[in-house]
Amino acid sequence: MGHGNYMSGEHRAEVEGIAVEKAPEDEQLVLAIASGDREAEGAFVLQYLPKVRAMLLARTRNPDLAADLQQDVMIEAICALRRGQVRDVAKLSSFVLGIARNILNSHFQSAVRRPATLEFPNELPDLATAIDSMVEQQEQSLVQRAISTLDTVDQSILQLTLVEGLKPGVIAQQLRLSPEVVRQKKVRATRKVVNLILKLSQNNSTTHFSERIVR
Amino acid sequence: MMICTGSLADLKALPYVEGTLPASEVEQFEEHFFDCPACLVRLQAIQAVGRELARNPVASRREPEPRIRLGWPTWLWTAGAIAAVLLVCVFTYESLEARLAKPTVAQGPPKSIPQMQTAAQPAQPTATPVRISQLADMTLPVYSLPNLRGESLDAHFEAGMKEYAAGNCRGAIKALAMVPGESSEGRVAEFYSGACQRRMGNLASASQLLRKVADAGDSPQQEAALYSLAQIALTDNDPVTAHRYLLRTISLRGDLEQRARGQERRLTELIAQDKEAKGKNPEAK
Repeated sequence: MGHGNYMSGEHRAEVEGIAVEKAPEDEQLVLAIASGDREAEGAFVLQYLPKVRAMLLARTRNPDLAADLQQDVMIEAICALRRGQVRDVAKLSSFVLGIARNILNSHFQSAVRRPATLEFPNELPDLATAIDSMVEQQEQSLVQRAISTLDTVDQSILQLTLVEGLKPGVIAQQLRLSPEVVRQKKVRATRKVVNLILKLSQNNSTTHFSERIVR
Repeated sequence: MMICTGSLADLKALPYVEGTLPASEVEQFEEHFFDCPACLVRLQAIQAVGRELARNPVASRREPEPRIRLGWPTWLWTAGAIAAVLLVCVFTYESLEARLAKPTVAQGPPKSIPQMQTAAQPAQPTATPVRISQLADMTLPVYSLPNLRGESLDAHFEAGMKEYAAGNCRGAIKALAMVPGESSEGRVAEFYSGACQRRMGNLASASQLLRKVADAGDSPQQEAALYSLAQIALTDNDPVTAHRYLLRTISLRGDLEQRARGQERRLTELIAQDKEAKGKNPEAK
């Protein structure tokens, strides 16, 4: 799955500390979707899918499950938007987040993953196109480059933390370091690799990264 | 309108991804990054690093070598070779002395002298498969009711655990398979299903289930899952894997630490004895 929208125009503005006006954009989306504009639905998916995906991935720690649930979230959100159920357009983010939480809770509480009320509208935007294999490859190579700048111990700490889910105390024993050193290295390595990814993204000329989120 | 340079993500994105951010802060952070591209992008970057490391694990990263190494350290080889030479010398001397003392006894051909290089051949840890597998603890983990805090258990889970308590592994597996994987009992169900599969001898299925529990991170079942994986490896005559899981069990410092330590010690002794025996008698199987 690709989530390579590292530095959209909106992102760059934010990183540079520039205020971003969101509500008018959301308002336009909400109104356009309610009036049957299919392109607006596509724009909505591109804007919210990465956020929903990031949230579900963090909550479930299961990429396959997150991928399944994100479809449900987007379908339910679009259905609601088509029906004009979003009254406060300034809170579109909260609305989508609420749907994501509900679907996640339903999944945890019931074997029936899909809520009974969920409709399957015709002509849904193709969620798959929101994920582009080229973007995915670029993201992958960029992340690889960033990781390769870390020393082996830092890489190991990130792997044991992010992949194996181990606590600093356990990692410390495995790497024969003190837990405090592991904690510090973990935070520093994360910050370093994230900053480098952002920097590499900025320098990356593949501007379609940024064009994909904000229209 | 929002101005953020990602400072909140710098503090909270990693604990959020790790699952260690307090519940109250989780919701706040989610509200924030849904409206803050700078924080979202940092969160996505951390998740991408995790994905990349899962796809391409750090090649040089290794858990510390088990104290028993199947490839012996050089000094041990040297010591073994010296010991073998001494043994051969003693044996040859005694044999010669005996022949000199009793010259009239019909002499057969001299016994072949053990070849020196056989003492240095790599020991096969599986040379004592039966003894290694005998170390395995086959008891089923004890199930104790969780603190419910007013919530009821999943019906399938309850049914499955009744079967489990009655010693009916087949029935337990069937019922526990119906428990939703991501429910609060999902992981517990996977653990006890894994324990049942192990009891029934389905080691591959058991390993798969138990690894999921062990790899899912901190949970009440993690330690027992690691311990059970060590037992599977013992049953499977795989001392390296068994040793690795025993060390991971010990590292959690939980209820099973002492049992795991005892097994680890016995496993170490067993392999050392095996190697010693091979060093002394290279033809020993």
